Amino acid sequence: MSPYELGESGNEAAIPFLIAYLQSSQAIEKRLAASALTKLNKNHSIDISLAKPYLLNNCSDLAPQTRQYSLNAIIRLLPQLTTDEIENIYSNLQHEDKEYNKKLIRSVKKKWNQIKNTRITKSLREPIISPDSQHSPNQTPMTPVKPVSQESLNKLGRGKIEELLLEQFKMPGFHDDQWKTISAILRGKRVLLIQKTGYGKSLCFQFPANNFDGTTIVFSPLIALMRDQVNALQLLGIQAACINSNQENERNREIINKAKAGKYKLLYIAPERQENQFWQEAVREINISMVVVDEAHCISVWGHDFRPSYRRIINLVNQLPQDFPVLAVTATATTRTAKDIQHQIGSNTIQIRGNLMRDNFHLSVIHTDSQEAKLAYMVEFINEQPGTGLMYTGTRVNAEVTANWLRFNNIDAVHYHAGLTPEQRQAIEIGLKTNKWKCIVSTNALGMGMDKPDLRFLIHTQIPQSPTHYYQEIGRAGRDGEPTQIALLYHPADRELPEHFIEISRPSHEIYAKVIKEIQKTPLGLWDLLRRTNLFPNQIRAVLADLIDQEIISEILYDSKKKYEYRFGAPALNTDAFEQLRKNKFAELGKMVDYCETTACRMEFLCSYLGDQEVNNCGKCDNDQGEKEHYRATGHWINQINKFQDTEYPILNCTSKRSNLTNGVAASYYGMSEVGGLIHRCKYIDGGDFPDSLINKTLRAYESFYKDQMFDLILYVPPTVSGPLVKHLAERISDRLNIPLAHKLFKEKKKQPQKIFQNRLLKRENVKNAFQYSNPSELEGKSILLIDDIYDSGATIKELGRYLSSLGAKEIGPLVIAKTTGGDKI
Amino acid sequence: MNNINDFAYWMAISHLKNWRKERVNSFLYNQLFSNNLTLIDFFEMELNDWILEFEFSDNELNDLTTARETLPNLSFQAENLLSQGFQIIPINSPNYPSLLLANLTLTHAPSLIYLKGNQNLLQEPTTAIVGSRKASEEALQFTKSIAKLETQQNRIIVSGFAKGVDRTALDAALVVNGKSIIVLPQGILTFSNGYKYYYEQITHGDVLVLSTFPPEAPWSIGYAMARNPIIYGLAEKIFVAESSESGGTWSGVIDGLKKGRTIFVRKPRTNENNANDLLIVMGSKPVDKFGKIDSAPKLEQFQSRITDLLRDKQLTLEEIKTEFNNDINLDKLEQYLSKIKCIYKNTGQKYSIKNNNVVQGQFPKF
Repeated sequence: MSPYELGESGNEAAIPFLIAYLQSSQAIEKRLAASALTKLNKNHSIDISLAKPYLLNNCSDLAPQTRQYSLNAIIRLLPQLTTDEIENIYSNLQHEDKEYNKKLIRSVKKKWNQIKNTRITKSLREPIISPDSQHSPNQTPMTPVKPVSQESLNKLGRGKIEELLLEQFKMPGFHDDQWKTISAILRGKRVLLIQKTGYGKSLCFQFPANNFDGTTIVFSPLIALMRDQVNALQLLGIQAACINSNQENERNREIINKAKAGKYKLLYIAPERQENQFWQEAVREINISMVVVDEAHCISVWGHDFRPSYRRIINLVNQLPQDFPVLAVTATATTRTAKDIQHQIGSNTIQIRGNLMRDNFHLSVIHTDSQEAKLAYMVEFINEQPGTGLMYTGTRVNAEVTANWLRFNNIDAVHYHAGLTPEQRQAIEIGLKTNKWKCIVSTNALGMGMDKPDLRFLIHTQIPQSPTHYYQEIGRAGRDGEPTQIALLYHPADRELPEHFIEISRPSHEIYAKVIKEIQKTPLGLWDLLRRTNLFPNQIRAVLADLIDQEIISEILYDSKKKYEYRFGAPALNTDAFEQLRKNKFAELGKMVDYCETTACRMEFLCSYLGDQEVNNCGKCDNDQGEKEHYRATGHWINQINKFQDTEYPILNCTSKRSNLTNGVAASYYGMSEVGGLIHRCKYIDGGDFPDSLINKTLRAYESFYKDQMFDLILYVPPTVSGPLVKHLAERISDRLNIPLAHKLFKEKKKQPQKIFQNRLLKRENVKNAFQYSNPSELEGKSILLIDDIYDSGATIKELGRYLSSLGAKEIGPLVIAKTTGGDKI
Repeated sequence: MNNINDFAYWMAISHLKNWRKERVNSFLYNQLFSNNLTLIDFFEMELNDWILEFEFSDNELNDLTTARETLPNLSFQAENLLSQGFQIIPINSPNYPSLLLANLTLTHAPSLIYLKGNQNLLQEPTTAIVGSRKASEEALQFTKSIAKLETQQNRIIVSGFAKGVDRTALDAALVVNGKSIIVLPQGILTFSNGYKYYYEQITHGDVLVLSTFPPEAPWSIGYAMARNPIIYGLAEKIFVAESSESGGTWSGVIDGLKKGRTIFVRKPRTNENNANDLLIVMGSKPVDKFGKIDSAPKLEQFQSRITDLLRDKQLTLEEIKTEFNNDINLDKLEQYLSKIKCIYKNTGQKYSIKNNNVVQGQFPKF
């Protein structure tokens, strides 16, 4: 074969033949052989060092072209040349007469110098974690590294790396999938890891993070979990910190500054932090080694928990260098969601998926005939369970009331939801760990914050929106692998509430058009939009998220205030996507109902829904055990429930620094028992004055809450539309309590009935400065009982509290018949 | 692989200190693109391969290594820019303005452009109107008039947003529902007041904001000077309302004339205190406020400069060129010298002042 053909072959077997050609008497063959060797090395990465002595020789050949081509080939071998060899080549400069060759010779020497110098200084591809480096336990590790080549990794081997794992994390070894993930990450790859809760996904990023040079950024939406992971890492001696909205700004800034100085190996941040100006400026100076996306299913709209702030994380991942390690982890992703995630973070992502079977779970669905039956069943059920557990309810109000019900039945329970302050929530999380309570009653939304490995039972009182939601929500229980009871209290009518939410989740097309039109005129913030559109905050947020997603608007920081801008050239709104999503949501809800109605193995149902390939019967669920359960509440329980509702007086939380308004009480929740119906009839359908039963209940609430407190005067909220109802109510209460009543409170401004205002902002603005008292001086130093029929957002009562305080009233205590659930807050 | 973006890489390569545009572009085109390599390919290579495959000086290697280490950080910055509605356009993108590339060539064209607003304006016919920050009333009137006239011909007004002529041109165009490209002397993220003020025009596609500097870079004199060639590069027609004999506007015109651009300068009236007529002598075309070329402009400043020069000596054409301004074209100089009444050329090809006693090589009469 000719030298040319040998070069094109791409085969290392060509080398000896080419070496022979290098020694030929014909210049052209020497030249072509050198060229072929260059090609083999450059295009096919074939090692040509065997040819080195011959090429060196030809660098001094008589024929200029031979010298030229040989020099070019030698350049491929520069890392392997010695100082003497370089000097030899360089000395040819004296005899060289061809300009081009002179240039080549100088270039050879210069490049060789550069290579030599960089061997001493930092190189980007150093071997990993030197296994024999000394370091003390509980300390951050050794030689800082960057991602490495497969060969380096192979050289060290799993065993050596597991030794490091033992030292740094006190763990004996990796599961196979953990090793697969970690070795990919160490090589700078992108990985999507789908493993059930309790598997040990965190180790897959904590170990590499601890060994990389620089800081790993972990995006995580769960504040409680962030905190727990940081604490655990610090106990191991690994520097980690988290930034989130529950912490003071000062603290967050302090952490960011330390991160800039390289103090942390891991930095956890909530996805919303990307909107923060300070963060955006700071992140440019942090030495970043890896990006981790926790709860990665939030990326996908097809997933059960899409969060718009994850959109930016995806965009970020798409800007990162290809050889920069990225790890996305989740416990719940259907095949479709996983595909979507993969599509979004790059098709070169490696997907590693474990099976989702939780073999310590005993799943059951209890078919009840009423909400009362559920209340009864849960007491019996909990009393049979060892250890501590968790109960999910649909709304905040339900969480509170249910917790009260359990306590009424002598079960240690406490409620937990987003309406509590961060301190209150933290206290409950800590109490949970120390087994202070038998049962925590939480909304689904916050249940993810619970991080107790030995939750022995978990109850759902309402069906979740899909089997994926359900799998995730029960996921937190029984992480220790011990037998765990998972119960769902089911009534066929339960599907109406989630169906309702799916219906209203996306507002009409007109609303979208209105929002777009307003933003086209001027940049608007969330509050501006609430004012202009009279929507609920959640609805506006959904609209904005969709518009950002379709690149019709963008989110901008104007002096640290977040506003929305219209993008020039934006496409028209695509409502097909919404329709598709709605259909999908209804379908998923249907599947959840199927789960409740199925007579087959429940674990198999869940796992195959979520994409597990081979699923077996669990043998532990109620269906597999042949124990189908229907439950009806007995008379005893009905009595008990009635007694409870009689004592359940909702508290009105309305104190504020600027007024002497105290907390107050309502006789009942608007939605519970028949109170709401009665009030509605009286107010809006002309049913006459409030019946005695309501008055009596209100007075009982008064006694239970205010006890022996003395009031000087009763005032009532002047109504807008419902006539003298509240006046008569106040008169009757004044009569029964023997406290004087004044009719001197009037409404000044012409205001709209509060009822028509959807959101709190508008309600508040509607009542501002709306009231007047005709003889202000007589209120000085008085304690006032303030009466109204319904307490909704509290705007009216709070404004009155402020106003009356400004006139000198020393205390104002509210008393109402019913407290609404405020829009079914979740 | 469809969502992968290389903006972070472009940002890394385009703002290297000490790398002139020519160096960056020649690296991109002659060493990467001609070998079918992308920037991403380049940054994924090992350091040794950089040394073997390319000719970099030691400093350049350092710069590139450091740049590579900042890639993740630049990714955050790029994502932030895109999220806020900015566009990033590298030099090899089909959306890169071809006129800019043609005018500046790879020697001077910026390898990366940041934009906010209607990109399509870059494809429309453009007119730049430039001038001093402290411009005379006359100059501002001229600016308004030209801005209006050009807008009526559906041309886009390009200006630098400086006080004075630039802002007047922009606002005058917008008042008659015209469109404009603002070339910033600072980073694209530092213009928040401007974005607020021109929000409607930007969202309606009438204003495009453009910057070639690092996104967070604040205003500096260097940047103010550096963006003038960009303005010229983006424009088909260039009008100068007023210039002094030094500073940004002056250097911009001189630079443009050197590059062979046609530049229209407002013809000065008698006794104006600026260097407009000098620019005319240097080669710009004098125009009135309707944009009409005037063949007989007044050149008082020029005249007084020359008479000062020749007060007590005689100079050849070349010598006058050296004294006056080395960039001037000799033919033009000769042409304008011939227009000055009190100057004439003797047989020795030397110029001198007629009313001087030094005439025709004779000695002065006492």
